This record gives sequence, C-alpha cells and structure tokens, in this order.
Amino acid sequence: MTSLPTLTAKDFKSDLKPIWCPGCGDFGVLQALYRALAAIGRPPHEIAFISGIGCSSRIPGYTTAYGFNSVHGRALPIAQGIKLARPELLVLAAGGDGDGFSIGGGHVPHAIRRNIDITYIVMDNQIYGLTKGQLSPTSPKGLHTVTSGYGSLENPINPLLYTLAYGAPFVAQGTPADMAGLASILEEAIRYPGFSFVNVQSPCVTYGEECQQVKAQKTKMKPLASLGHDASNLLSALDLSRSYGTELYTGVLYRNPQPPPSMDAQVVERQQRLAQGALPRERILDLFVQK
Amino acid sequence: MTRDLIIGMAGSGGDGIVSAGESLIAACAAEGYHAIMTKSFGSQIRGGESSCRVRLAIDPVLNPGGALDVAVALNWEDFLKFGAELPVGGETVVIYDSATGVPPEKVPLTGISPSEVFAVPIGEMARKATGTDKAKNTVVLGLLSGWFGIVRDGVMKGMRKKLAKKGAEVLEANERAFQAGIDYAAAHPLRTSRTMEKPARPGVKLLTDGNDICAAAAIFSGCQFFGGYPITPSTEVMQLLTREIWKYGGAVLQAEDEIAGIGAALGASFAGKKSMTATSGPGMSLKTEVLGLASIAELPLVIVNVQRGGPSTGMPTKSEQSDLFQAVFSGHGDVVRPVLAPTTVSDTFDVTVEAFNLAEKYQTPVIVLSDQEIAQRKEVIDPIDTSRFTVVDRLRPNDAELEDYARFRLTDSGVSPISHPGLEGGNYLGAGIEHNEQGDPTASGAMHAKMTAKRFRKLDPLRERTDLFRIEGDPEAPLALISWGSTAGVCREALQLARAERLKVKLLVPYLLHPIAEGVYRRFFESVKAGLVVEQSYQGQLYRLLRTQLDLPKGLRPFCRTGANPFRPREVVDTLREAVLSLQRSVEDARQPQE
Repeated sequence: MTSLPTLTAKDFKSDLKPIWCPGCGDFGVLQALYRALAAIGRPPHEIAFISGIGCSSRIPGYTTAYGFNSVHGRALPIAQGIKLARPELLVLAAGGDGDGFSIGGGHVPHAIRRNIDITYIVMDNQIYGLTKGQLSPTSPKGLHTVTSGYGSLENPINPLLYTLAYGAPFVAQGTPADMAGLASILEEAIRYPGFSFVNVQSPCVTYGEECQQVKAQKTKMKPLASLGHDASNLLSALDLSRSYGTELYTGVLYRNPQPPPSMDAQVVERQQRLAQGALPRERILDLFVQK
Repeated sequence: MTRDLIIGMAGSGGDGIVSAGESLIAACAAEGYHAIMTKSFGSQIRGGESSCRVRLAIDPVLNPGGALDVAVALNWEDFLKFGAELPVGGETVVIYDSATGVPPEKVPLTGISPSEVFAVPIGEMARKATGTDKAKNTVVLGLLSGWFGIVRDGVMKGMRKKLAKKGAEVLEANERAFQAGIDYAAAHPLRTSRTMEKPARPGVKLLTDGNDICAAAAIFSGCQFFGGYPITPSTEVMQLLTREIWKYGGAVLQAEDEIAGIGAALGASFAGKKSMTATSGPGMSLKTEVLGLASIAELPLVIVNVQRGGPSTGMPTKSEQSDLFQAVFSGHGDVVRPVLAPTTVSDTFDVTVEAFNLAEKYQTPVIVLSDQEIAQRKEVIDPIDTSRFTVVDRLRPNDAELEDYARFRLTDSGVSPISHPGLEGGNYLGAGIEHNEQGDPTASGAMHAKMTAKRFRKLDPLRERTDLFRIEGDPEAPLALISWGSTAGVCREALQLARAERLKVKLLVPYLLHPIAEGVYRRFFESVKAGLVVEQSYQGQLYRLLRTQLDLPKGLRPFCRTGANPFRPREVVDTLREAVLSLQRSVEDARQPQE
C-alpha cells in the first residue's frame, strides 16, 4: 500500500492572479488558508469553496479547490445545499462583511442553528472596497465615506457577538498580521465538526483607516492564548466579544467542547435508517393507489 | 342514466363539507369512476365558509365543469359566497337544510329556477342518527348516494377505514346517518331520474393532486434535493418530499427564505445531484436572482411555480395564469430558461419528468408553470406506465476530457461536460461572473458574446420538439383554440362541445411555452381563420407573447380574464362563435363600397 502524497500549500494555489490591491489583507488570508488546507491534507477536488460577491469573494478562484463565486450574500445557502447533498466534501464559505452581515446577514443565524459542518470565513474590512469605499455594516459609527457624508449615524454590527448569540459552536478571530496564528485558527475551524465561524480583520489598503492596517494591527492585537482565555467558556467569550471594534482579540473565542450533532450527519443517519422503506423509484406512484 | 355528474357543496367551517368531498372522491376512485375535486375556502385559517366541487364521470374528466348538476347548501349565506365556483343553472337539483327556514320557492338564487329543490332536515337527521350536528356531511353523502345511485359501497368502506380507531359506536352512528340520507332520498324521488351509470370495470385508479404528483415525479426522476420555503399553493410539493426523499438518499431543506431555498437547491446541483425548488409568484420574484445564476453557471435546476392570483400577495388561494411573462422574461441579462406547463394532474407527472430531463440535458434552470387549479385539485386518474419515460442524466466528463478539463468548453451543441466536487481532475470555478472556457472570470466582450451564444444555443433543439405540443380536433379546421395550463382542460371539453355542434375546430395545447417553437405554431396557423387564445390572466400573456414572435391569423383573439373566475366550456364555445361573427363582419365591412 502506498501512502497518500503529502500536500503542500502550493498544491492549493491556482494559476489565477488575484485582482486585489497590493498590500490587501486578503493576500494574507489566502496564504494562511493554503497552509491550513495543506495541514488538513484533503485533496483539492474534495473541497468545495463558495463565496458571494466582493473583493474577498474572489478567493475561491485563487485556490485549486472546486469553487463557486456566486451572487452577493448567498454563499451560505449555496454552501449548505452542497454539504447536505454531498456530506463527504469539505465545504468552505467566504466573503466580506457586506456580503455576510448586510445583504446576506439573514442567512447567518440559520446556518448557525442548523449547525451544518461548514467553515465560514468573513474577511472583515469595515468598508465596501470593490464598489470604492462605501459604508459597510461593520463600519464604526461616525465613519466618513462616500455614502455616509458628515459621518455614519449607524452602529456597526458585531460579527463575534452576533454569531455567538445565535449559538455558533465555534467562533474565532484572526488577522493577516499574524499569518501563522491565522493558519492555525483556520485549520482548527475546518477540523471542528460543526458550523465554524472565523472573522478575519483583513484591512483594506485603499479605503481603510490607517489604524486598521496590518502594521497597526501588529501592535494592537491581543492573542487570546496569551490572556489565558478559556475557549470552552461561552460567557467569557461573549464578554470579550463585546469589545469588537476597540480591542483586537485573536484566536479561538469559543469552542463548544461537546460538539452538538451536525445537521448533515443527522441527514446521513436518517437516509440510512429510512432507505429500507423506499418504493422502487419506478413504482413511486403506488403512493396514490386507492384500494 | 347519467355519465357525468357535477356536485357542488358549501357550508361553514365546522360542517365538514370538504371532508365530505374527500370521502366522495375516494369512494369514486375505489369504484372506478374518474373524478375531479376542487376546494375553495374563505380566507380564515379555521372556520369560515368552505366549499368543494366534485365532478365524477365514466370517462376521463377534463375539467371541473360548468354549472352544477347538484347544489348542496348547508346554509345560504356561505353558499352564496361561492357564486363563481358553484354556479347554479336551470338543470340543477338544489338540496339545502330546511333549518335555514327558507321555503323552496324562495331559495335566494336570483333569476334562476332550478329544476328541483329539496329542503331536507339535514341537521335534524344528523342529530337523530348520531346525537350531534357533526354528521351533517354524512347525511349529505347518503342523500347523494340515494338520489344519484353513486358510491354507496365506496362511502361505507371509506367510513369503516376512517372511523376504525374511533370505535364501533361512532361508526354505527355514522352508518345510521348515511342510511338516513339514503332513506330520505328513496322516500322523495327525483322527478326525472339521474342515476349514474356504473363504471364498466373498477380497475386500479390513483387519487392525487398536482402538487403531490409533481413531487412523485421528482423522485422518479432521481431528484435528491429540495430547497424551498412554504408558500400557498405550492407547499404540498415540499411536504410530500419531506416524507419520501430521505428514502432515496436525498434531503429537504426548509430554508429561511425563498432565496436561500433556491440557493441551497442550486448548491446541491453544483454538487452533482438532481435538485429542485417549488414556490408561487411572490417567491418566484425573490428567486429570480438565483435563476440568473443558474443560467450563467449552467447548472441544472427545476423550479416549480404554482401560480396564484397576483401581483404581490394577490389571491393566494385562487388560480391564475399571470406569471407567464415573469417566467419568460424575469431576471436581468440574457437568461436562458425553458418554461413548461402541465395541463392536468396526470400530465404534471410527464411535465415534471420532462423538466428534470431538460435541466440535466441542457444544464439549465427549467421553470414548471403549474397553477393552483391543477396543483390543489384532487383527481382520480388512470395509473401511469412509468416505463414509457426515459430519465436523463447530465453529461459528465470522461477520462480524456478530464486530462485537460474546461468546464465551459465551447461546443457545437453548447453543452459541455459537467463535473462536480469530489471528481478528481474536474476542479473548476463556478461563477455568476462571466467566464472563459476554464471558468476563470473575464471582462472580455468577445468571450461574453461567445458564452451567451453558447448558453442560448443549447435550447435550439427544443424548438423542434413537436411532442411538447398536442393538437386535437380536425387538423385542417379553420377555427382554433389555443390554451395552456389548467385552462386547456376547459378547452378540451369546449372542443368536444363545438365539434358536436358541427363547428370545425382544432385545439393547440403547448406544454413548452418558451422558447417559442415557431414552426409548430406556423403549421398550426396555416388553416386557421379565426380562434381564441384562452387563458386566465388580465393581459392575455400567451397571446401577447406569441404576437411578439409570430404573425397571428387575423381572426385569432385573446379570451382572457383574471383568476378566481374559471372558464366554462360553454362560454368558450359561445365566445368562439362571436369571434367568427366578428371576423365575418370585418370582412363584410371591408367589402362595403366607400361612400
């Protein structure tokens, strides 16, 4: 028996050249993801990587996995359909903060409550970059953008609190300012058996604020591991996540130590249990026979 | 002896009118009659008025029919709310509860004198037999059984099955109520006998509705995923699948909204599984976003729209055919989507299987335009021989093609082999953005032109599919009817009526509504001088659609109106005669010498 070839980060890199601006945080996310996938070792054809629309949603095309760069805000519904149809696949969903928490925001709670085993990566830059600098759902209040003259009057959504509050069993935050840390967060998220959410503070070099850039993040970031945070403690995770927007915690905020059964696993179990009772397909109309 | 009987009943919510209709049609199926049952309710969730029509016949029933042969009113207020659904005519036998206090000569049917009127103490008989009012519907079944000689054994059998769990006492009480009705009828015979003929041989019959059989067709076709959101009048498609699909290795996702429902269904298709969603007009408006995505990503997907009255919330429980424009034109950009429509409960099976086959063969979304009338009416139909159907699967890449795989390879047919996650060597990027043959995003105008043409080219063979049309009647007739969806059933009977009256008529029923098979219509039009396009929409959407692409015969006119007001065969024939007269007048006018 020959052993499976070991995969390296290069095996996940496609020939497409990213359209991102030089210095964009998404490059770091992509590199970290290559590493995480190599560490996990599933071959690219067993991975389905779904995104919506936005700068960051271009990411599936830069991998060798099966990708689907779908429509704005709909990465999660499509990813869930894929996972339920083919539970044996490794399914990733990704997008920006606008994709995930504005136009697609209504899908997040439902993906969480179904606990379908997919990993959702949001590259959160608090701005709409692709459309050139408009207000996003995670933009800080008061931010001046081309669509928020005189400053935004709206409070931002807090992705960490949002996902924790809906019961996500795995919530983490990372930054390309700490590539190794981000790679290991992504690896852990993907390995987690259930819905996992990773918020990546991925700065926009073109429209983002100075204080969000990688350089600033390096001094600002607080690795949770170094704070002695217990990731199995939901209350502590909720408490820490309240400071989204002021503090930059990185690492796993919450990991349910007893993973609840995923919907896809339950679907498989149900299919196996009920398969015995099936009429042959060609006799399905017997359902309607009147005796 | 009668071969065809139309019964209409109405009462308030607790009267069990619909339940009586269901018992009646189940008994019809068991005894070998053909039958159609339609229901109509007020808008209340519980209580309020309800009504149903049952048409039973020796021959296959084409539509719910026109004026009632028998009208049953448990009270007049509720009955009169269903004026359009329960039309009473001069030939109708009227039966009502004498407890209403209305004397027979004063029944509130303006301008109509029914042939016979019976004021029957229905409530009193029920109380006497069972001690409660609840058995009024059973008394009614007994009356119908007694007067029209129908389904006596079938009802008894059904009652025994239905009440088995409630104990011998309840069953006996109901049997007494049923018998009381029969005895009353025997003591008060009809002036003219209307006894129904018995079916020649009972044989096996199916009892189902358009939504259930649509779901069954999906399973037959190998569908393994349904994503959707509950919406009247399509929800039963999801409900049947959620009972059955798991047994076939499939899954149902009741999504958080219509977009997520179709999104998940598209995801399942991307993953290589046959997949569908079902909805009604308001849901279809939302799903349009993913319809476009399915078109450009070239993913097979069956989308069922069970039409109801619109726009917006419109008339959720009433049938209409006003989503044709939406089906054909909705979505931004040049969207590819064949549109099919069933015309009966039975052919909903054929059309749904065809939809899956087209979706798979041409890697495209396919819209099935059902309507509430077909979807929710119960019908006794003959068994369907499933061995006459071929089930098509999508074209997968072979090993050689996987060596140098290009998902969107430009081929003569427009169809390129499609891989799916899990298949080694078939990795590609699916996208809503325009792409090259490999699937990589492109902003090239030349590539966009090529890819759009490729997507549309796939549908070319459809224009030659004459088997997706039915032409009935005299092929060289100068008069024509064209009709689609549930309305086609009315026109089939109108055709019989008109031909019996020596009119030279033919009927064209398109199952394929889009793309327009121009050749089929042109050949059909060759002999046509005058005719009607009959459809349940204000604008006459099929008529207008045909006009955009074809030269229509001068005398071909739309005969259309809004929903909840079904066409009757008689009026179709009358309107056809008017169309002929109007054409004659216009020809004569043209001949008048100018003054």
